[in-house]
Amino acid sequence: MNRRTVIKNLALVIGGAVLLPSCMSHDGTSYVQLKHVNIDEDQQRLIADVAETIIPKTNTPGAKDLNLPAFVLKMIDDCYDKKRQQAFVAGLKAFTSMVKTKYGKQFGDLDIKQREIILTGIEKSANAVKAAKPVKPDPITGFYWDVKRQTIFGYTTSQYFMTKQIVYELVPGRYIVHYPIKKLNLKSA
Amino acid sequence: MANLNVDSVKERTFDAIVIGSGISGGWAAKELTGNGLKTLVLERGRDVKHIKDYPTTNKYPWEFEHHGQLPAAVMEANPIVGRCYAFGEDSAHFFVKDKEHPYVQQKPFDWIRGYQVGGKSLLWARQTQRWSDFDFEGPARDGYAVDWPIRYKDIAPWYSYVEKFAGIAGNKDGIPELPDGEFLPGFPLNDVEQYFSDHVKANYKNRYVISARCAHLSKPNQIHIDQGRTQCQNRDLCQRGCPFGGYFSSNASTIPWAQKSGNMTLRPFSVVQSIIYDEKKGKATGVRIVDTNTKETIEYYARVIFVNAAALNTNLLLLNSTSNRFPNGFGNDSGVLGKYVAFHNYSANIGAEYDGLKEWTVDGRSPTSGYIPRFRNVYKQETDFLRGYACTFGGYRYQQHKYDGVGATLKEGLVKGDLSPWYVGVQFMGETIPKDTNHVSLDAKLKDDWGVPLLNVSVDYDDNDEKMKKDFIEQLTEMLTSAGFKNIRPSTDHRAPGLDIHEMGGARMGNDPKTSILNKWNQVHACKNVFVTDGACMTSTSCQNPSLTYMAITARAADYAVGEIKKGNI
Repeated sequence: MNRRTVIKNLALVIGGAVLLPSCMSHDGTSYVQLKHVNIDEDQQRLIADVAETIIPKTNTPGAKDLNLPAFVLKMIDDCYDKKRQQAFVAGLKAFTSMVKTKYGKQFGDLDIKQREIILTGIEKSANAVKAAKPVKPDPITGFYWDVKRQTIFGYTTSQYFMTKQIVYELVPGRYIVHYPIKKLNLKSA
Repeated sequence: MANLNVDSVKERTFDAIVIGSGISGGWAAKELTGNGLKTLVLERGRDVKHIKDYPTTNKYPWEFEHHGQLPAAVMEANPIVGRCYAFGEDSAHFFVKDKEHPYVQQKPFDWIRGYQVGGKSLLWARQTQRWSDFDFEGPARDGYAVDWPIRYKDIAPWYSYVEKFAGIAGNKDGIPELPDGEFLPGFPLNDVEQYFSDHVKANYKNRYVISARCAHLSKPNQIHIDQGRTQCQNRDLCQRGCPFGGYFSSNASTIPWAQKSGNMTLRPFSVVQSIIYDEKKGKATGVRIVDTNTKETIEYYARVIFVNAAALNTNLLLLNSTSNRFPNGFGNDSGVLGKYVAFHNYSANIGAEYDGLKEWTVDGRSPTSGYIPRFRNVYKQETDFLRGYACTFGGYRYQQHKYDGVGATLKEGLVKGDLSPWYVGVQFMGETIPKDTNHVSLDAKLKDDWGVPLLNVSVDYDDNDEKMKKDFIEQLTEMLTSAGFKNIRPSTDHRAPGLDIHEMGGARMGNDPKTSILNKWNQVHACKNVFVTDGACMTSTSCQNPSLTYMAITARAADYAVGEIKKGNI
């Protein structure tokens, strides 16, 4: 029965806005009420800032415009098991204190350049370690990958992305083989 | 008062009762009602009306709470059904959850079930390959199980009959071991699938890669339009239920057709506890059900009973239907009831890539893939294991995005990217040999909410399965290598039987009442007005996806039952 699972997986990777119970916090950002994991308002703001650094507002919408921070929280709250949630929160705390020690500031108070340097720094050293020997990521790296993974998942399955950046077809109505790749008009890397 | 009782019995009396509304029960309902029999269709689960009860069918990925992923709590609570490839946020409502209907795994067995009108016909992989005499003659030639009491010529017209109504897409491939049928236009192979097909044809005797026949309306005929169905729209979201009726299901096809006849009474929420046997009349007179909402026990009566509860539940029902005449289960004079359960071995696959045909890809989606019919031990025994395997063969390319970094670079990487090389996947589908040691039985102590004993399942692989799996990896690796595929990666897993969702047998057909439960018309040898036409009837499994054969067997048996009623024989 396992037919074209890959296509199914691709289809799953391909969907944005999600309605969540939220309330406004003092600075006007929305604060998500979680069911299983304890992530307070400040920590939620940090996750939102990390997500916005990963997918920033450019001439197209960014993570916050697309309500992705709430989606990231939802996924961690609902789709991660207890162990992964605990690792996530431990990584979140380690990340917070690492930034504080190194920069003497909150992540959100740093300028965009500094934020990018922190995140790409984590990613580069993680890739170097992985290339040398596959190991379980340290808590900070694990936290970063989780936020990045869910931000990208939420972004690439958002209504905005799937209607404006690519065209997801719910009803293709065709299957054409021997199709020249040129006709796909893919943007080359 | 007496009159009231008479009226009540009359209200509960039908010409026929069909137990189950899945892929075979739907056919029994259609055929019996179509021949003018007032038919009661009993379904243990809820009703699922075509389109109306497909809540996720038109949702975009972003409209799902978790964009398609299931919450951890659901996965943790459902280790069994959670392993099924089709169980997702868009389809979970059509699957039985682990805690809802427990069973006893004497050996690990993933029992995947869909308790609703339509059963698993909403969820099936829609693959419809015919059997040939290389399959029906298998047990007799190779000395296992018992001889099938039917041959291809007995069932061929019924394959045609159900194919025309269900709508099967396929090509006339002219392969004796996989007979052609009544086909709507086949879905094409893509370039890499066609390349491998050509290579195999040129270099191997009796080996083929064809477009898998599937129950999709590639180009509907009037009979399909009359069912209210339209052309398959290549959504590949079949597990949600199809709003176009693009693929065959009981819900889209046979059940509404039976309803239209005016002869069907459909009763959901009805768990059948047992079949009632009348010792004086020497036949079954009806069934005893529990209404799952009211917990009330009710008896229904009919001249003929079709058992289509899905293979293992049919075994459970027959085992639980005891009487003075049948102390060991209904029709179980032979003692083989519940035994010789078999399945399909899906525990291996191979991935590979092809460094060519780079200018070509596909546009849109296919509801099917390539298929490699069984080529081992077909014309003669040639290996140290019995029987053989079929394979699915599918090729695909995808846009390779760059996920590195953050910010504008990453945003660009998520839209740009060149196409990957062609990747292919081959899925192993092995025949397993029915054995008396692979069996199901009633648990002596545990019962479900309706007073029915839980089913003990004791089904396992054997040495033949291991040898066959090894051969699959060797043969397909060699074939892919010779066709120039690279990075060939065989992989095996330790999945439990059951996850193939092709469990069969337990009430097998046979010529001899001493070694089988059903005759060549699917009648219980010892009680001719009870027919079993779902997977439980299978004498052997061969390696084709079995649903088409269940449909044909059911239509054939129903036709026979109608004739026997007319003659006054039952």
